[in-house]
Parts: sequence; C-alpha cells; structure tokens
Amino acid sequence: MSLWFELIASGLITGGIYAVVAIGLNLQYGLMRILNISHGEFLMLGAYLTWLAHTVLQVNPLAFLPVVALVMFVAGVLVYRLCFYRIVSTAPAVEVIEARSLLVGFGLLYLVQNLAYLAWGADLRGYSFLVETLEIGGARFNLNRVVVFGFAMAASLALLAVLRFTLIGKAVRAMMQSPTGAQLVGIDTKVLHPVVFGAGLALAGVAGALLSTVFEISPAMGEPYTVTALIVIVLGGLGSALGSLLGGFLLGLVETFGMHFTSPSLKMVLSYGVLIAVLLARPKGLFTR
Amino acid sequence: MNSRHALLALLAGGLALAALPWLLSDFLLALALSCVMYAGLAVSWSMFCGPTNYLSLATAAFFGLGTYVTAWGAGALPYGLSVLAGGLVAAGFAALIGAAVLHLRGAYFAVITFGMGELVRHGITYYEKAFEGTVGRIIAEAPESTTVYWMVLLVSMGAVAAAVLVRDHRLGLALRGIGSDEERAQTLGVNARRSKIAAFALSAFFAGALGAAMAVRWTYIDPLTVFNPFIGFQTVLIAMVGGAQTILGPIASAVVFGLLTEFLRLQFPYLFLVILGFLLILLVLYLPGGIASLFERWRWRRGNV
Amino acid sequence: MGIVHFVRGAAAVALAAMAAVPALAQDVRIGYAISRSGPGAPGAQTSQEPNYIMWAEQVNAAGGLNVGGKKRKIELIGYDDRTDAETMLRTYEKLMTSDKVDLILPPWGTGLNFALMPLAQRHGYPMLSPTATGRKLLSLKNPYFFPLLQQPDVMMEALATFLKARGTKTAAVVHVDELFGLEQAAALEKAFKEKGIQIIEKKSYPFGVKDLQPVLRDIKAKEPGAFIALSYPPDTFLITAQSKALAFNPSAFYAAVGTAFPIYRDKMGAATVEGVMGLGTWNPKSGPAAKAYFDAHVARWKKEPDRWASAHCWAGLQILQQAVEKVGLDRKKIRDYIASTEFDTVIGKIRFKNGENVSTPGVVSQWQNGEFEVVWPPERATASSQFPKPGWN
Repeated sequence: MSLWFELIASGLITGGIYAVVAIGLNLQYGLMRILNISHGEFLMLGAYLTWLAHTVLQVNPLAFLPVVALVMFVAGVLVYRLCFYRIVSTAPAVEVIEARSLLVGFGLLYLVQNLAYLAWGADLRGYSFLVETLEIGGARFNLNRVVVFGFAMAASLALLAVLRFTLIGKAVRAMMQSPTGAQLVGIDTKVLHPVVFGAGLALAGVAGALLSTVFEISPAMGEPYTVTALIVIVLGGLGSALGSLLGGFLLGLVETFGMHFTSPSLKMVLSYGVLIAVLLARPKGLFTR
Repeated sequence: MNSRHALLALLAGGLALAALPWLLSDFLLALALSCVMYAGLAVSWSMFCGPTNYLSLATAAFFGLGTYVTAWGAGALPYGLSVLAGGLVAAGFAALIGAAVLHLRGAYFAVITFGMGELVRHGITYYEKAFEGTVGRIIAEAPESTTVYWMVLLVSMGAVAAAVLVRDHRLGLALRGIGSDEERAQTLGVNARRSKIAAFALSAFFAGALGAAMAVRWTYIDPLTVFNPFIGFQTVLIAMVGGAQTILGPIASAVVFGLLTEFLRLQFPYLFLVILGFLLILLVLYLPGGIASLFERWRWRRGNV
Repeated sequence: MGIVHFVRGAAAVALAAMAAVPALAQDVRIGYAISRSGPGAPGAQTSQEPNYIMWAEQVNAAGGLNVGGKKRKIELIGYDDRTDAETMLRTYEKLMTSDKVDLILPPWGTGLNFALMPLAQRHGYPMLSPTATGRKLLSLKNPYFFPLLQQPDVMMEALATFLKARGTKTAAVVHVDELFGLEQAAALEKAFKEKGIQIIEKKSYPFGVKDLQPVLRDIKAKEPGAFIALSYPPDTFLITAQSKALAFNPSAFYAAVGTAFPIYRDKMGAATVEGVMGLGTWNPKSGPAAKAYFDAHVARWKKEPDRWASAHCWAGLQILQQAVEKVGLDRKKIRDYIASTEFDTVIGKIRFKNGENVSTPGVVSQWQNGEFEVVWPPERATASSQFPKPGWN
C-alpha cells in the first residue's frame, strides 16, 4: 500500500513541477502564438535571483517568491515590447508568428544564457534549504520537494482561478477562442498581450526560484525544462491551462511508474512513447475539445 | 531561372568549391566544410519545410542516425557506401515516422518530431548498452580531411540539385499547394499524404548522408555527441533566417552564419554568443523575410532601373 | 550592388581577423579550446580552465617559462568550443596549422579528447589530458596522448579492497548510461567478483534524470552492505538527497563524479554529506605542495578547487613545464621526455607507461567535518575512515 502511495506521490511531485513550468509557456502560446523557446532561460534567471538573495542577503527563498514574480513580470512586459510586439502586430498569419517567435526565442536563449555565463560563470551553484525529511503515511520525502510541490500547485491553481473567475481571465479566454470576436466586444490586445506574456515569465521565474531550493543551478539549467514544458503542453493541448496541469501530472506519473516497473534507463523512451501515442490518438492533445 | 540553368550554375559552383582544398589552409578548409555541411542541411530542411510550412525538428535525429550507420559499418563498409547507407536509413526512418505524424501541424508537429529524435537517441543508447555492452564506438580508420570535404560537398550539391528538381516539378507544386491550403490541394487531385511522405523522406536522406559523411571526423561516436540538438536547431535557424521558401537563401545564410559565428567566436571569445543572440533578434525584427528578401529587393531594384 | 559590396567587405574583414595574430617572438604561445558554454561547461570551468589561467599567471609572475636557459613569458590563447566536437577540431586546426602555437592544452571531457587525438598525433602535439578516462582511449595507442586520471579499473579495485577489508559482503550498484558509468560499472563488477563481494542489485539510468526515489526505495528494501553510484554531478546530488529522505543508510555510501566538488558539500550541507565516499585523489592535507596549490587557487578564484581532477590538471601543467624546461620547445623531444620520465607533481610522483599514469594509485575519499579526506590507500590517507557510515543528519 505504502509503495503505491509513495509512487503516486513521487509522480505527482515531479509532475507538479513540470506543470508550473508548462502553464506559463502555454498561456503565451495560446494567446499570442508565441513559441517562446527561451522560457527555460527565464526560469534560470529566477533561480539565480533567488540564489543570490539567499546567499548574499540571507533572504528566505520562499519569502522571496513575490519579488521574483514581480521582477520577472516586469522583465516579461519589457521583453514582449522589445522583441515580440513587432512580430505579433506585423505578421500576416499565425504560422509566421510561430516561426518568427521561435527565431527570436533562439536569440533570447543565446543572449540570456550567455549573459548568465558572463555574470556567474559556468560552475554549479546551490544552497542548502529545508533538507529535513518529511514522513507522510509511511512514505518519506525531502521536505524541500514537498514544499516546492505545494507552492507550484498554489501558483498553478491561482492562475487557473484567475482565468476562470476574473474579468481579465475571461478576456484572455475569449481572446484564445476568437481573437476577432474578442476585439469586437472591446478587449484591448495592447494591454492583454504584455500582461499575459509577463505572467508567463513570472510563472517561469517562480518555478526557477522553487527549483533552486531542490536542485543545483547552472546557466544551462533551463533547456531541459523548456523541452519538458513543450511536451507537457502538447500532451495537454495547446492553449489549455488545465490541460497543462493534467498533462504535467500524467508525465510525472508515467516516469515514476515506468521507472519502478521497467528500468530507469527506459524513462525517456517511455515519456516520448506516451507523447507519441497520445498524439496519434488525439492530434490536438488530451484535454482539448 | 529554370531547372537547367540552376543546375548548370550549381555544377559550376560545385566545381569551384571542389578546388578549395588546394587554396585554403587546414583551418579555413575546416571552416568551409562546416559551411558546406550546414548549407546542405539547411537546403534539405527547406526542401520539405519551406513550401509546406511544416516546422520539423527531426534533423538531429536523421543526422545522428547517419553517423551511427557509419559507426556500425566502420571497417566493413567503404566510406562512400556508408554515406549512401546512412542516407537510406534516415530516409526509411523518415518515411516511417512521416506516415504516422504528418497529419499533425504547427507546434504539435515540431514537438513530436523533436520527440522522435530523442526517442531514437535513447533507443540507440539502450540498444547499444543492452546488446553491445557499450555506448560509444570508435572509428579508428578515418579518410583524409580533403576526402571528407569532397564527400560533404557532393552530398550538399546533391541536396541543392534535388531541391531545384523538386521545386520545378509536380512534387514542388503539390507541396506548395499543401502549404497554402491542404484541403483545396486535395480536391484538386494532389495526393497530399504521399507527397508529404516522399518529400520528408527525401529531405531526411540528405541529412542522414551528411551525418554519415561527417562521422569519420570525430573518432569517437556516442549518442550524446551525435544527436546533439544543437545541430538540428542550428539548421532550422539557418534555413529560416535565410528564407526557407527559397534555395539560395539557406545557402547564403549558411555561409554568412558560419563565417560570422566563427569571426565573433575568435574575436570575442567570451561575448560572442551574446552578440549572436542580439544580432539574431535584430535580424528577425528588421529583416523578417530572411536573407532571401535581400536578393528579391536587389533584383526588384535592378529591374526598375 | 551595395549589398554585394558590403558582404564582400565583411568577408574580407572576417578572413583577415581569422588569420594568425602575430605575437612577440619571444613569447611561448600555448593554445586551447575549452567548454565555456554547452553541457561540458560546468565541469570544464570547475576542474580545468581556471587551472590553465592560474598556471600561466604564476609562471609569468615568476619571469616566464625557462626555455633553454632563457625566461620567456607564456601567451595563453583560449577559445570556446561550445562542447561541440566539430568546433573544437576546427579550433585546434587553426591553433596547430595556422597560428602554429608552440604547445596546446587539451579540451574538456572524454569525447572531445577522443576526437582530438588523431589531429594531435598528426601534428605532433603532446596532450596531457586531465579530464579523460577510460581504457578505450588507451586502446588507440596514441603516442602523444597522456591521460592524468586513474583508469576505472584502478579506482574500482581500490574501492573493492577497501570494502573487503571492512567485511562488506553485498553491494548494490547504480550507474549512468554513459561511457564513464559503463566502464566503471564493468570494472567494479570484475573487482567485486575477485574480492567475493556479491552485487545484489544493478540498475542504470539516463543522464539528466530528476527523480530516482523509486529506484533507491527498491534498493533500500534489499539491504545491501554497500551502495555504489557511478554517477555524474547532477545525479550525485540527487541520489544523496533522496537516499537521505528515504533514510537509506548502508554501511558504505559511495558516489562517483561530483562528490569531490566543494559545491557538493555546500549544496547538500556539510552535516548531510558526513561519511559519504567518492572519487577523489587529494586534499589540502595531502602535503605541502597540495596545500600551496589549494591556497593559491582560493586566493586567485575565491573558490576551492575540486578534490579530484583539478589537481590532476595542475599536475599535467607541472609536467609540461618540467619537460619544456628540460628539453625546450621541440615537441617530439617533449613527448619522449614525458613518456620516459618520472615527475614530481602536486599529486605525488607520476610516470607514464604505454600512455597510462601508473603512479597514481586508486584512492577512496570520504567527507568528514567538511573536508574530503583520503581514507585509502593507507600511504596516502589523510584521516582514518568512518565505517560504517554515520546516520544522515
């Protein structure tokens, strides 16, 4: 019994982290068709900011989360204005936005990642935080992992609530369903786009801040998370925040159970196998209508 | 320019490039090799992705498969044959996955092709470990670097020739039809599925052959090195910056990119990737049509004078 | 037409810039490519490039390299290879054939060293490689290649002897699916078999894994006497944290690459890593030379060197310096001298036999009170071992 509990809990913890990274990326894609391949670099920035705050100023990483969110939000609005606004407003078709935003994303990836190399060097960095053990129902976990899971869930659910219940959330959803219809009823893309892009980066930054409490950090740490996030949003369906959450959980569970019942070496083969199987059966992802 | 003129120009260009080993130092020849390789990769990528508007991230998979064919055949197959076999294996693999995933579009297709690449990488790692007890392979007998250069040049020229022929014949027309409106193309009698699979496999052939041709330079082949996503991304980048709808654009882009990156890398050993990222963003924002649009503009202006 | 002119002009400037930069004739020019970006960067920037730079600075501060009785300054020429084999090769082709540097220093990691070996032999440049290990490298029998790290079988033999002497009967092994993990695992199996230690569980995992708790849980249930992880840095950290969470505390807990990094102690906490064993060769207590090197590194870089490859890298630079000061800059003579001489280095005597460093023995190290103490073999030990491992803190 406790074996199952532990496997499920492990899977959900991993999946919850995947989900919070993916949701931010998915918002940007769903609303603006921006395929921001540099998402993981902003996650890395969040991690470094938190590491600096903790090691230099002795700030508690969790108390620092709002600061990271705010800084990354502002950064997001700026990045949108400087890099993506022109693309979104001048491109003749959505495929063109996808393609050009991908290229700009590569540019940002090089730029941000290598600025981090210049600023902090390539060495692994990290700090020790909440390394105690937590025992729940006979299963044992690193406390910091559980805390990360809790905060990741809180951030994801808060975002889902905003999308569901607030005016701006309704505007975003309306815009995803029908961009022209939404503009006809008076929704202003000039405000909405930068705000949503900033929110996406804020989520990435928060994810990075949380991950820095568990894992060691380096300037290239973001790349694998970008890849995982892309898989998760495709699994869950492009433009569906709830889909990303569930897709993240699914991927986490597949990895954990796969590792237990087959071999850890097959982990990646299983993840990609599931992705391919899902897309063959449901070409638009699991959780889209 | 019709096919015959284009092919003649290609032949002339190829012959000129074939003389480079006598003109350049080892280092500049290595730089030329890199440019020619990326030109071949970018043209083969654009051959399929340009007209159809698909975004394939499978180049690294095809390239890596090709290198492994060389590694598996090392000692048994002569160099030329391994290059051919590398291309064929990649093309066969592309046809197989193409049949399964070419109905997807946009980001779905991009992610799944990237996933296929990773799947191949991990599959090969697992196979080598389980059945051969190793992950890396040594290629001890390597041909001269000039031989490698000529081989890569030959394959890249083949890619360009194929791109020209595809563009000017039925298949190219079908692909462009699919790119602008797949359903309409189908009602007009295009077998969309067959055309897409054929073009995807053809484009993979050249990526695989280039991988097989390059493998001998690296002595040691392991999945992490040869399925380097960097090679795949670089190819997409070059092709798109050049203008994937054209053939000349990706070629020019490969040369500009190759020389510029190397120049920056040697001049600014710490800052070059920052500069490169910055330039890339500027380029997309202010030259959205890619390098090819410069030719267009130039031709247009000349026509007007 | 303007554009064509522009492109042509830019190309001319670029080619001119890429041509050799003539240096002052009296400088000794030493070139290398190293991973400043890409997957190899963390390792290269921890164990390798800082040593290259510090060495050149120290030699220059002392007046320069003594070549044939004349002191000549070192001019270090380093480029980023992005951890990409083709870029790395092209850079060395430039260094060896266009710039015609006097000497080279090797790139980072086993794969890139493999790729460079044929070129180094063709142009006759000795490679004293601090971060390449594996019998496969030696199987190429390249006369210019001198790897400084211990070979996997030497390391694993030492571990097996150490554990056997402490009555270990069973062990569980996990390893990363890379050449390093596989070679170490094969060597470990052989060594354990000879010593009669039974391997009751063996699992492998891919590089970049983010959760190994399910695997560790299964292993814990089998209660092995020793746990050996033939891991790379990210997984070394992961396995430590998750074993602690599971309260999986075998008598011997060993993880391979990364345990010797100071960041391992700082990230996991000095109390947590107490009693963890791993791959290491030295620490500041190993001797006066080691202490001097350690202090210089901390003073120059504001960070401690790692307790394994860093000192091997430094030893390689010392060997190169001694060889040049003995035979000058004739690279063939340098090669022959390296191949036939026993050197005094920061990690003790080093002598190469058929390209293998046969002097540095297999070493077992263990974290104790914030230092990675050498606990085996006895003649190199800086502290006695804690066995069995204390509980996790």
